[in-house]
Amino acid sequence: MSETLRRPAEAIYAGELAALAAGDGDRRPPGWALSPRAVVTYLMGGAAADGTAISEKYVGDRRLIETAVATLATDRALLLLGVPGTAKSWVSEHLAAAITGDSTLVIQCTAGTDENQVRYGWNYAQLLARGPSREALVPTPLMRAMEGGKLCRLEELTRMGSDVQDTLITVLSEKMMPIPELNSAVYAQRGFNIIATANNRDKGVNELSSALKRRFNVVVLPLPDSAEEEVAIIVKRVGEMAQSLDLPAPKNVAEEVARVVAIFRELRSGSTEDGKVALKSPSGGLSTAEAIGVMVGGISQATFFNDGRLTPETLASNMIGAVVKDPVQDKAVLGEYLETVLKKRRGFEGYYAALTDQI
Amino acid sequence: MPADLLFYGIRHHGPGSARRLVEALAAARPAAVLIEGPADASDLLPMLADPGLRTPVALLAYAEEDPAQASFFPFAEYSPEFQAARWAVANNAVLRFIDLPATDRLGERLAGAPEEALEEDEVSRDPIGILAAAAGYADGESWWSDVIEESASGLPVFAAVAEAMAALRAEAGPPSPREAAREAHMRLEIARAAKESDGPVAVVCGAWHVPGLREKRSHAEDRALLKGRPKAKAKLTWAPWTAPRLARGSGYGAGVIAPGWCAHLWDSHDAADRASTWLARIARVMRERGHFVSTASVIEAQRLGVALAAMRERPHPGFEELRDAAIACLCHGESAVWHDIAAELLIGADVGAIPEGTPLAPLLEDLQRQQKAVRLKPEALEKPLTLDLRSDSGLARSTLLHRLAALDVPWGRLADAGRSRGTFRENWVLAWQPEFSVRLVENLVHGATIADAAGARLAEAMRGEPALGPLAGLLRSAMIAVLPQAAEIGTALLETRAALTSDALALLAALPPMAEILRYGEARAGTAEHLAALMPRIAVQAALALPYAARNLDAEASSTLRDAILAAEAAIQLAQLDAETVAAWHGALATMLEDEQATQLVAGAAGRLLYEGEQIGAEAAAALLQRRLSPGIAVAQAAGFFEGFLAGAGQRLIHDAALRQAVDGWMLGLEEDSFVANLPLFRRVFSDLDRQERRRLMDAARGQAEASARGYRLLPGAAALWPAHEARIRALIEAGAPR
Repeated sequence: MSETLRRPAEAIYAGELAALAAGDGDRRPPGWALSPRAVVTYLMGGAAADGTAISEKYVGDRRLIETAVATLATDRALLLLGVPGTAKSWVSEHLAAAITGDSTLVIQCTAGTDENQVRYGWNYAQLLARGPSREALVPTPLMRAMEGGKLCRLEELTRMGSDVQDTLITVLSEKMMPIPELNSAVYAQRGFNIIATANNRDKGVNELSSALKRRFNVVVLPLPDSAEEEVAIIVKRVGEMAQSLDLPAPKNVAEEVARVVAIFRELRSGSTEDGKVALKSPSGGLSTAEAIGVMVGGISQATFFNDGRLTPETLASNMIGAVVKDPVQDKAVLGEYLETVLKKRRGFEGYYAALTDQI
Repeated sequence: MPADLLFYGIRHHGPGSARRLVEALAAARPAAVLIEGPADASDLLPMLADPGLRTPVALLAYAEEDPAQASFFPFAEYSPEFQAARWAVANNAVLRFIDLPATDRLGERLAGAPEEALEEDEVSRDPIGILAAAAGYADGESWWSDVIEESASGLPVFAAVAEAMAALRAEAGPPSPREAAREAHMRLEIARAAKESDGPVAVVCGAWHVPGLREKRSHAEDRALLKGRPKAKAKLTWAPWTAPRLARGSGYGAGVIAPGWCAHLWDSHDAADRASTWLARIARVMRERGHFVSTASVIEAQRLGVALAAMRERPHPGFEELRDAAIACLCHGESAVWHDIAAELLIGADVGAIPEGTPLAPLLEDLQRQQKAVRLKPEALEKPLTLDLRSDSGLARSTLLHRLAALDVPWGRLADAGRSRGTFRENWVLAWQPEFSVRLVENLVHGATIADAAGARLAEAMRGEPALGPLAGLLRSAMIAVLPQAAEIGTALLETRAALTSDALALLAALPPMAEILRYGEARAGTAEHLAALMPRIAVQAALALPYAARNLDAEASSTLRDAILAAEAAIQLAQLDAETVAAWHGALATMLEDEQATQLVAGAAGRLLYEGEQIGAEAAAALLQRRLSPGIAVAQAAGFFEGFLAGAGQRLIHDAALRQAVDGWMLGLEEDSFVANLPLFRRVFSDLDRQERRRLMDAARGQAEASARGYRLLPGAAALWPAHEARIRALIEAGAPR
């Protein structure tokens, strides 16, 4: 039993990957461990040639995954967009694991990420002792991926400053990275590519420059299609999170999840579930992940302040926090939703009262 | 010895099969071409080759006694039937339709058969589309080129199709009686043509029918199937068609999903760069819409399309691959951008034209019939006409005139325009212009009867109308012209658009027309109910949006908003909305009144409406005025409030003693300086009153109400005085002029 809290995808699913590789007769692009079709099977689930069951890694539209894999096969960089909680990082990790067998070359982009963490850094002791040389260079995951012909993953690309993002332009278009200090360059080996993820609904992150945007093929990962699917995902995740936080799960979680999801979905989609009334959507994303956050927050409040019962009152303040991102506009949107829809709906009286009260 | 028979099983509106068909006809050179289509329209077929004809067009068959019973058979440039007809005319081949005559279908319709029973089921209408969908293709044409054309190695395309259909039909159940009769009719016609013809006979029909038409059956058996079919007198003609209607359509080949894509397939022939030209077209449409698309991205889209096709094991990138690639590379992954361009790209805006000398258009016939029915003659000179809407004939005439107006044929003009059916009387001025006939023919695109066409045209206008106020106006037109379908569409649109807007002005503008409809409209119960539910919601939405809209407006915007609020208030009273909605509305008015940032003119108007609605008592109103007009408030602000509160309410000041006292008290309390400073404002407010009213107001203000109507009131002792007075006047008159 390993002590590691979480192992990389290629280690967890080593069996599936080996089975797929063994039975994979299709042509593989240079540097790929599997053929594109086998990669799609790995992500969407199915069976390998020898009958080994392949678990479903991504629940959703097969076409999106096909587009993503085909993009990487044409040596174009792939950008996965989506609101939080749509499995962007998850898909990127599994793509890297299946295609090159290594999902660990990751750069987590933040506002503090500078060029040295994207291109290469210097080992200053070496630099002082020997002057600029390859030995004094500290390679980044990107550089190692280029040299090894692997996939490099850039998480939350748009959180990084625009000037740092633009470092990638040469790498993407010319597949090389100049090292002017040494008057040399790193040339990417076949198989090298980049998978970036970014959030398309967040406010206050850096825009992707159009020069960079043009160098990516973009796949937008959507929110779950049906309410049942979403409720199931949330109930499962809330259960896991409550457990890891040592919170006793109240009995009525599933019912309240269904109600919160109903409200979130209606606001998000801009119409009631029966399609009869069209609505405005708030400026925030209202993702599945936020619904999970609302539920976990509500449960923790219920546990510590409300003798363990999950009520609309305990959830309302968290819901308002999730819905109202822009104090003027979103409040008006929520107010309108409460007055025109929720007021008359049976089973939601508690939510109407609590939300109207706290808004 | 009958002539050879050549069967060409095609896909209706399939450019792929159209191309192969033209090649096959050129190779086989048949002496006769028989096409699946209503046999009684054969005379009209050569018109397809007329240079004055531009696709898309539709063959229109309608029942003589009831033109609303109409069937359309649309043809596009890439329809195999159309290409076959063109080939036959160009090569002097005999050309004929062989399906059951249109009279049959119309007869069944007149006999009350449900529409679904007349339509072919989906499998027999487009078996190729069904096979494609089963193979995971969203587009039947891509499947045709990938599977039929690629894999039928050695075998001619049409033989391969026929084989596939034979296998399919072996699985399917027996055809419906109507389908059986159709195939019997076609078999008989084919046999007749084969006997008469001295060369090979080509049969162009939907792929599904090929095995059925090839079957050997005795003629007697077929004739038995045709016995007792219903009949109706039918008229047939060509009608101009549009690409959007091709996408819906009825009759043969209903539902070309993407006419734009089919047209592209046809126009690009078998060119190898078909995918790149399609992507270039996508890029062009996107650029026209203001999206930035570089050539490099188009190249990448092409590469991605090829890679996707390889991964899906398809020989060429088809419609779906190119769509997915375009979304990923050109639309930055946003399918919303794709949906934005899809309508233009996939459907297009082509409008067909018909040659001169086409048989009379049904709309004109319908008009003549209706003119006779309501006894109105078209005359070129202007003639007034007053209609009493309480009588059936008046209502029928009014409805006809309103419908024609909706078709942009303003035969009648309402003399008191702008007023809807608030009264039972309408005053029209009639004048018929010759160009109206032309306009009616143009309207054929929308439908075959005046009612249908007017409804379809209004519905189209509604779909294109983004603003709520005009949309509600169109809805009112639909209601007045008794067009329930258009009214339903309008209601649904109004609902969606209202939900998506938060512009208070737009929401307010929708209220007056809705109130008129609810109060006076002869709406059908369903729509009226829907509207009755919708209006309170829009009112509540407007109420929620108002307080924000009232802030920081300039003079022009604030007076516009004030007028809109006054009109909305009138509408809300007229429609007698429920107490809850009215409370929300009053709540919004109260918020505006109290809001520091609200523009004072609007706040003043809100104050008066609340006062009139008895939400504020007289004393409170007086206190309010006092506070808002107190010396600490800047003159411009106070002036705005004063104007908002009192403009148009001068009458009220005359009759409402409490309000008058409040204003009077405030004015008397003004310092000389501030009174002078406010003088222009007072003039403005009271300038609405005429002289008489102003004098009465002055009298009232001076406390001389008794004498206010000087010269018009009887003195207390008048009755007693009168006889003596009269006697003196008489004496004077009789005495004549003084000498």
